Amino acid sequence: MKVLARKDLPDVLKNWSDSYDVFAPSMKETGDVIFDRFDADTFTLEYGKPSLPQKSEFLPQSEVIFELKKGEYREVMAGSGKMLFGMRACDVMGMRQAGSFMKRDVTDPYYKSKEEGILKVVMACSGPQNETCFCTTVGSGPFAEAGFDLQFYDLGDEFLVEAESERGKQLIADGFFGEIDAAEAGTKIEEFKVHASKAIKEVPALKEAMERLRDGSVSEKVWDYFGRKCIVCGGCAFVCPTCTCFTVSDFQTQPGEGLRVRSWDACLFGGFTREASGHNPRGTQALRLKRRHEHKLLYYNETDVLEGLCGCVGCGRCSDYCPVHIGTLEVVKAIAED
Amino acid sequence: MAGLAAAFGSGAMTNSIAEVEEAELFFITGTNTTAQHPLIGTRIINAKERGAKIILADPRKIQLADYADIHLRHNIGTDVALLNGIMNIIIEEDIYDREYVEERTENFDQLKAVVSRYTPRVVEQITGVRASDLEEAARAYATTKKAMLLYAMGITQHATGTDNVKTCANLAMLTGHVGRPSTGVNPLRGQNNVQGACDMGGLPNVFSGYQQVANEEVRKKFERAWGVENLDGKVGLTITKMMAAAQKGDLKALYIMGENPMLSDPDSSHIELALSNLDFLVVQDIFMSETARLADVVLPATSFAEKSGTYTNTERKVQIAHKAIDPPGSARDDWEIICEVSERSGYPMNYNSTRDILKEINELTPSYAGITYERLVKGYGLQWPCLTDEHPGTPYLHKDKFTKGLGSFLPCDFKPVSEVPDEEYDFLLTTGRVYYHFHTGTMTRRISILDREAPEPLVEINPDDARRLGIQNNDVVELISRRGSIKAKAEVTDRVPKRVVFSTFHFHEAPVNLLTNPVFDPISGIPEYKGCAVRVRRCA
Amino acid sequence: MARTLSVCPFCGCGCNFYIITKGERVVGVEPSPGNPVNRGMLCAKGWNSYEFIHSPDRLTMPLVRKGGELTETAWDEALDIVSGRLNDIKKEHGPDSLAFLASAKVTNEENYIFMKMARAAFGTNNVDHCARL
Repeated sequence: MKVLARKDLPDVLKNWSDSYDVFAPSMKETGDVIFDRFDADTFTLEYGKPSLPQKSEFLPQSEVIFELKKGEYREVMAGSGKMLFGMRACDVMGMRQAGSFMKRDVTDPYYKSKEEGILKVVMACSGPQNETCFCTTVGSGPFAEAGFDLQFYDLGDEFLVEAESERGKQLIADGFFGEIDAAEAGTKIEEFKVHASKAIKEVPALKEAMERLRDGSVSEKVWDYFGRKCIVCGGCAFVCPTCTCFTVSDFQTQPGEGLRVRSWDACLFGGFTREASGHNPRGTQALRLKRRHEHKLLYYNETDVLEGLCGCVGCGRCSDYCPVHIGTLEVVKAIAED
Repeated sequence: MAGLAAAFGSGAMTNSIAEVEEAELFFITGTNTTAQHPLIGTRIINAKERGAKIILADPRKIQLADYADIHLRHNIGTDVALLNGIMNIIIEEDIYDREYVEERTENFDQLKAVVSRYTPRVVEQITGVRASDLEEAARAYATTKKAMLLYAMGITQHATGTDNVKTCANLAMLTGHVGRPSTGVNPLRGQNNVQGACDMGGLPNVFSGYQQVANEEVRKKFERAWGVENLDGKVGLTITKMMAAAQKGDLKALYIMGENPMLSDPDSSHIELALSNLDFLVVQDIFMSETARLADVVLPATSFAEKSGTYTNTERKVQIAHKAIDPPGSARDDWEIICEVSERSGYPMNYNSTRDILKEINELTPSYAGITYERLVKGYGLQWPCLTDEHPGTPYLHKDKFTKGLGSFLPCDFKPVSEVPDEEYDFLLTTGRVYYHFHTGTMTRRISILDREAPEPLVEINPDDARRLGIQNNDVVELISRRGSIKAKAEVTDRVPKRVVFSTFHFHEAPVNLLTNPVFDPISGIPEYKGCAVRVRRCA
Repeated sequence: MARTLSVCPFCGCGCNFYIITKGERVVGVEPSPGNPVNRGMLCAKGWNSYEFIHSPDRLTMPLVRKGGELTETAWDEALDIVSGRLNDIKKEHGPDSLAFLASAKVTNEENYIFMKMARAAFGTNNVDHCARL
């Protein structure tokens, strides 16, 4: 176990930036905090829950997967020496679940090449980042158990730094990182974890909702209520760490040349399930929302769930960013109260 | 906007988007807000769920109809009668804001005289709205403190559009609902910089900041700043008059930047005649639009992602956008092209960036004086009027007095739509947008997901009418007006009332503006898109 | 990937988002979490607004009508034709034989100098925009 003085963190990130393309929380001039290329002047640790998971690093909103040029196909595969600094545990679980899906039966080479090339540095949460956090209910946080290279525990003046991978160990081999007695570190981390987990409130409605969905006792009224107010922005899927649906479009760039692009899609859109005949098995917004939440809470593939509880990792972003409050928290509450 | 300027002295949304969250009641008319201004529409749904009331006046059963406490489905084009009827009840029941009316407005007696003719019975006859619903709406709006009136093109796109707007303003003033947070008269602007195009003087009668060209002092100021002499003091032509002048041969050349009047203007075949009659047509755009096809010169411009500059949103907030990528091929920013044309025409402009231009706007436009580049990059925008570098901007207008001093009641009488259905053309066609597309579709139809969600134009028709005409969902129907015809698939839905059909202008395959009636509001020049007579025929 | 703050090109709400670029290709958008208009949210149009930017239908060269056909031309020639024709027409028929339509889709700065050009360079108040529509 290693320890790093808080004041040295920017220098460490600067060093890492020499070898990697480091992305970290950045406070913009406007006041926005987003994940962006590391810049010592705008770097901040006051970033709470990142507004988006880092999904787009593995599965960009749109990406060219192959080009057709002069009669030849060329696959576009992006590997990268990238580092994500400051990931949250829920997002790591989301990335792992999504990664499992993307590689389970048939490996998605575009996803895999990016996933493997990225170093993941987690900042363990010392408590909820806002009122919609519920990682402890679904077993995804507040600290990561696997799937990262380094994990930082913020103890105030210093960070305890845990390495999970060989790559991680090498990262903290330099002089900025001091050794700390394993037993002492263990005690401190244990305290941190107990305290953090206690601070995050459980959402019993989630498990109740899973039960109710399992025994099929949820009335359609619940879905009708949400279906009526959904404006079909697709935002819940786009901000979700475990949503990976995409559509594929071909574009001609000039005669005889073109691109195949895949881009995020969402099961909330009618056209997502509309069949060639015009028939739509999920013909209403209520049915589409039902399907979405059943997928997360009931039908998520057992292999992909890993150590989690379901296909939801409790980040709460669908509740944060749904313009009309149709997030998992609101849905499970409505089901539990139904 | 002319109607609001006449009543209040300023033609813009009086209040702010964030204030929707605090409102206790909404009077919503002629805006399908969840579809056309989604992040305002959703705030209304949230407000309803925390207890706010909604009065919706709209012939169509839009998404917000599900949330309306009272849905007034008045006949198309009867807005003035409906609103006058509401004011009639408010005055009759003595629930108007007497103190406000006395202290802050003028012409009340005229208003009273006009609306006294619009008794609930009379209004029921004209609008089809039950007197009891009207009374309920009147009481709720008048007696709620934070009552916000929102409207959009459903109010303005009539030959009586200015009357409709004035009548909305009358209603809000009568009840004292202007000049406080979460109240006001709020026209929702449909494009990302309509407000800015107006603010910057893209109008025949004003320079930037609504400074009148007819005012000599104003002209002198601009002459000095621009280094020219004899700026013209005579008001120029509106777009509709330009088209007429082109057709007559009086207008010889037209330079169009980023607009597609071939799809967006009424009676497109006439527009085509007008544009073809010009000696010279320049179109500056990012796509080969239907209008660009007619041009003598087409200049390739940049999209929003390729340029820096500011945009003014519907709540008068100026926000800055930055350049993300280089333009494709040799396309160039609109401002660079304009500078080039101007310089080659003997009037060099010498700007190095849009930042330089903004500086000049600050200097010459009092309402934008404090909206500087330096401030915009450090925050989330500033709402005009913003008079100095220290001025915080103005979330809501007309606080203690109206921009023009006293607010003017400008009472109007009801006039029916210009083209009333008859035996031959027995439906009213009303037009608008769908959620997934924007304007003439040049951008959104090139976005695969959006085009998948709404791939083709649909004609909404009521189930009763559909049954009578033997029309089923997805049958191809023909809409025929006195000016043209289009074919599109039918969507049988009770979203539209009987004898009304609805379609959109996004699709060049079925350009609905071949059908619309080129009659215009005499003051604003806005065409009557929201009602013209058509016949509906099922195609074999 | 780089992030550049921008304003949604569609309705009048004025939602802010970051344009995500990979080299010279826009690959997506991220809503501004702090902007009070949209607070991390967007509608379907906003979320998908990036795609038309790279449409192969984009105009990339000036076009001038030659022998009835719009033909690709160098900027210099196209600009000379525009200013030449506008000035000739102005000379022959007076400034009010010209008219200018500004845009509800371009920036304030561009609208401002467009109307300045109409008024100061060509001497006409025949300036309007399509937002009446």
